[in-house]
Amino acid sequence: MPIKNRFAEMHPEITGWRRDIHQHPEILYETHRTSALVAEKLREFGCDDVVTGIGRTGVVGVINGRADTKGRVIGLRADMDALPMQEQTGVEHASKTPGAMHACGHDGHTAMVLGAAKYLAETRNFDGTAIVIFQPAEEGGNGAEAMCQDGLMDRFGIQEVYAMHNVPGLPVGQFAIRSGPLLAAADEFDIHLEGHGGHAAKPHETVDTTVMLSQLIVALQTIVSRNADPILQAVLSVTAVETSSAAFNVIPQSARLRGTVRTHSNEMRDLIEQRLNEVVQGVATTMGGTAHVTYTRGVPVTINAEEQTGYAESAAVAVGGSCDEAPMVMGGEDFSFMLQERPGAFIVLGNGDSAGLHHPEYDFNDEIIPTGCSWFAEMVERRMPVA
Amino acid sequence: MPVKNRFAELQAEISAWRRDIHQNPEILFETHRTSALVADKLKEFGCDEVVSGIGRTGVVGVIRGKADTRGKVIGLRADMDALPIHEATGLDYASKTPGAMHACGHDGHTAMLLGAAKYLAETRNFDGTVVVIFQPAEEGGGGGREMCEDNLMERWGIQEVYGMHNWPGKPVGSFAIRPGAFFAATDQFDITFEGRGGHAAKPHETVDTTVMTAQAVLALQTIASRNADPIDQVVVSVTSFETSSKAFNVIPQKVQIKGTVRTMSKDMRDLAEQRINEICSGVAATFGGSADVNYIRGYPVMVNSDEQTDFAAEVARSVSGDCEEAPLVMGGEDFAYMLEERPGAYILVGNGDTAMVHHPEYNFNDEAIPAGCSWWAEIVEQRMPAA
Repeated sequence: MPIKNRFAEMHPEITGWRRDIHQHPEILYETHRTSALVAEKLREFGCDDVVTGIGRTGVVGVINGRADTKGRVIGLRADMDALPMQEQTGVEHASKTPGAMHACGHDGHTAMVLGAAKYLAETRNFDGTAIVIFQPAEEGGNGAEAMCQDGLMDRFGIQEVYAMHNVPGLPVGQFAIRSGPLLAAADEFDIHLEGHGGHAAKPHETVDTTVMLSQLIVALQTIVSRNADPILQAVLSVTAVETSSAAFNVIPQSARLRGTVRTHSNEMRDLIEQRLNEVVQGVATTMGGTAHVTYTRGVPVTINAEEQTGYAESAAVAVGGSCDEAPMVMGGEDFSFMLQERPGAFIVLGNGDSAGLHHPEYDFNDEIIPTGCSWFAEMVERRMPVA
Repeated sequence: MPVKNRFAELQAEISAWRRDIHQNPEILFETHRTSALVADKLKEFGCDEVVSGIGRTGVVGVIRGKADTRGKVIGLRADMDALPIHEATGLDYASKTPGAMHACGHDGHTAMLLGAAKYLAETRNFDGTVVVIFQPAEEGGGGGREMCEDNLMERWGIQEVYGMHNWPGKPVGSFAIRPGAFFAATDQFDITFEGRGGHAAKPHETVDTTVMTAQAVLALQTIASRNADPIDQVVVSVTSFETSSKAFNVIPQKVQIKGTVRTMSKDMRDLAEQRINEICSGVAATFGGSADVNYIRGYPVMVNSDEQTDFAAEVARSVSGDCEEAPLVMGGEDFAYMLEERPGAYILVGNGDTAMVHHPEYNFNDEAIPAGCSWWAEIVEQRMPAA
């Protein structure tokens, strides 16, 4: 069973929505036009309930199946926000807003779930309830967390959640997924080291911050090489260093280091945060200085539930003929907050040979719309089949 | 024989010159007003020859003694330039030029040598020739080197040279000196490590410059601890560490470090330069990157000649009753170039309990003028006694 015929018919219409959203990108929680457009469409499709303002500008649509004998509820999630970038695609439907751009394909994700909602509201060929979830602020704003904090899962009784992301470089319409950790937890650290500045020709009267910070950078490497289980994945990168002065003859009073930590399990994440603090304090104390660490947790690990990954893969094979095993990715994904609350799965769909995500020349490939829509519809019909 | 009576009489006049110069500080080679003032005074005193434009804005005055039976020629040197520091003394003769200040007492050095020239031109009580040397750009400009390059020594047949510097924290008018290496060679290094930048979550695709540079900073510590003869002195300080990008999630392509090297011998200086090159290239190669080392030699080690130092100390004792052994100074001094060309000695004269040199609240202590002038005059009269 390949693509649903209905989506081939709807292809130009959904493409129209996608390009309209692409022309009007909105950043983080400022998805006012997009959220209004989504809510309006959902009402037009005949959704049984449309609620706005979940997670600030998030939108939820409820579609009841023709039966509800088992109380099954499935969530399908799309993200709506754009990026603070200047578009350089030169396409006719390019962004009308300078400095804002749909460079991650969330326009396509939103359009595909809208297409699936239209089909599901028309056909209602399932036994249970489909909840379509449109979140703002996936790009660094934790919009999914905000929706969860507004009681998304409990309020609508959601039992499982599914989402999809397009992937440039993967052939058009090709699916890929993996069970367990898929995307990384992405945290940031900002370390302030304080020594005792002074004249560079009188090192004995100073606590030298450059030596301290160098000891620290080298010691931090042992977290991955010595503390982490070698079977598991972890990245700790010091990406920026700045001394408080740039003169040739002054030992700087302080120094600042920044960097990122990427992990694929909560245990590893906890371990690295703990060891980072211990190593920083230890090195600073050893050298006679002090340190202040700000460790900022970003999105958690995206962990696909094993059972739901199996269903997602079956639906993908049914729609696209095959489903690859996706590699682990060290990037982060906000959907991880929803997967912490409910079992579910995150699948990727090939965007073909396009520019990479977050590139100013990237554009979502409208050719994948029927495939993506079909997968969302299949998830609902397969997980909640009518008798 | 204490301070010469004539200098007690001249103190008010010399103090007025000093304060006038203090009010009109000029930086590096831009000592146009000061040089003109010095040349005017020397002509007014009746010097036998006054030559400007030696070493750009340097001034030389020649005073012949009442006899010249042995062809002796002695050089006395003062520095004229100020520092790019904003004065915070609150004095009524404070700098009129914002951002420029006589914070190292060169105003006092110039005034004292002018005072000695006035006395020597009046009395001429010596057998030989005195060459008074007023140099610009002692503070990092190599004015002493430029005067030597303009053939200062050969042109006037100078056989010995003497210099003096005031010293805060030492009782007013007291002296201190040491034979051999006295002030350090002061070099700078500016090193750029280059790796391969990239995404901080994909360290395996990069050559990490922060780790490479940190290893190099640590390895540089071994020059002082492992390569240097523990009896000798060396300072290698890394004073600035800056990544080419500041983001949390980017491995920087380059890191620039800066610093200074202070040594007390030519051999140690050569060793430090050689080891810095070897360590940086070696560490960079170890990590698959490269290092571009720019080693900039500043002033050489300032070495007092044994014989002239003994003589200078004897003169100091005759003026103020005592002369201490001065400690090694890790700062640099441009007079080193003159001492590389001719035997001579550099002495410290106490400035009393003042702020340190280069401090915005520092001021030359006019009370030191009689002792300083007397030492200059005595050097001439004792080294070239009239029959």
